[in-house]
Amino acid sequence: MEFTLLWAALTAVGFAWLGTRIWDERLPDHATDRMVGAAASGILVGRLTAMVLQGTNPLANPADILIVRGGVHTAATTVAAIATYLWAAKWRFAFLDATAPAALMGLAGWHAGCLWRQACLGSASNLPWAWAQDGSPITRHPVELYTAVGLIFAAWLVSRLPWKILNRAGVALASAGLVRLLTEPMRPSISGGPVFWYISAVILGLAAVLIGPRIIREVAPST
Amino acid sequence: MSKPLFLLTRSLVLALIVVACGTAVGETTGPPVDDLPVTTADEFEAHLTALDRPAVVNIWASWCLPCRAEAPLLDQAFEKYGSEIEFIGVDVQDNQTDAKAFLAEFGLDFDHFFDKTREIPNHYAGIGTPITFFFGPGGELITTHNGVVDERTLALNIDELLNLP
Repeated sequence: MEFTLLWAALTAVGFAWLGTRIWDERLPDHATDRMVGAAASGILVGRLTAMVLQGTNPLANPADILIVRGGVHTAATTVAAIATYLWAAKWRFAFLDATAPAALMGLAGWHAGCLWRQACLGSASNLPWAWAQDGSPITRHPVELYTAVGLIFAAWLVSRLPWKILNRAGVALASAGLVRLLTEPMRPSISGGPVFWYISAVILGLAAVLIGPRIIREVAPST
Repeated sequence: MSKPLFLLTRSLVLALIVVACGTAVGETTGPPVDDLPVTTADEFEAHLTALDRPAVVNIWASWCLPCRAEAPLLDQAFEKYGSEIEFIGVDVQDNQTDAKAFLAEFGLDFDHFFDKTREIPNHYAGIGTPITFFFGPGGELITTHNGVVDERTLALNIDELLNLP
């Protein structure tokens, strides 16, 4: 049995918890619990979507749902996680803004968890910090660590933004998509990666920043 | 504001369930499959040695749930890299009927061998099922991945094979 994915998930939870400690302003109660619940719900929906798209019927093969290494659909996971979080926060969008930096930290933790999984490496590179797989002469970009650093920087950036409905959440979504988009060319892939969904995240995130305050009339939670 | 969004979410979840039910049980994607050739470890090694290009060897079985989960990915990898890399499946501890049903369901359109006694994975010190072995040209074992292979691991190791000095 392989537990490295669990270690990566625990790293994500640890980073998210750290995020809620660093940027605790206006957070809902039990913010880390809510984030973990939302992430679990997102992964479930993402796994089901991936199975259906691969032609596997989840009802005929329910045990396959647990084998997340078989694939998780990025966009379905993101939508379901955000919807679950909003539902848990009683549809108060301001809580999305408050949680955005910690959520980016959680994502950064997931990517940094590649260190437990020995899955940090991407395309071949001769840069001084590139390293090789065990027994291989080919050194490679530690692309997942680049992603983690990019997301931590995005979390800091988002935390500096003014409080306005969907301002922080929108920029967080856009920056998460952008960081993945920028690192994708360094990531070996069979399917080409969900580039369309990363571009969609950037566009939707920026649209939320622009349109959010006009269509959502909501009082920001007090500090 | 909250009620329409709640309805939207419920509709999305419902749509996912409906889509999930959409695939018929036991639906097959490929043509009927012949019996898989029975092969010993020595014959298999000789087969790999004769190859002049790298090979990805996947150990699977029809009763193995994780094998089902990784089968679509292997099919996708074969579609993309089949012209540069030899893909080979080895069905272990199985029977021909179930093996053929598995292949018909997933349409894994590369060569497969039948190894009732797990001689081949044991020969290469693989553990459990599934296993994915990555061989250089001439049958040199480069990497072994025990367990379900995810897209990143498969893509990275294929890239290693394609960039072998």
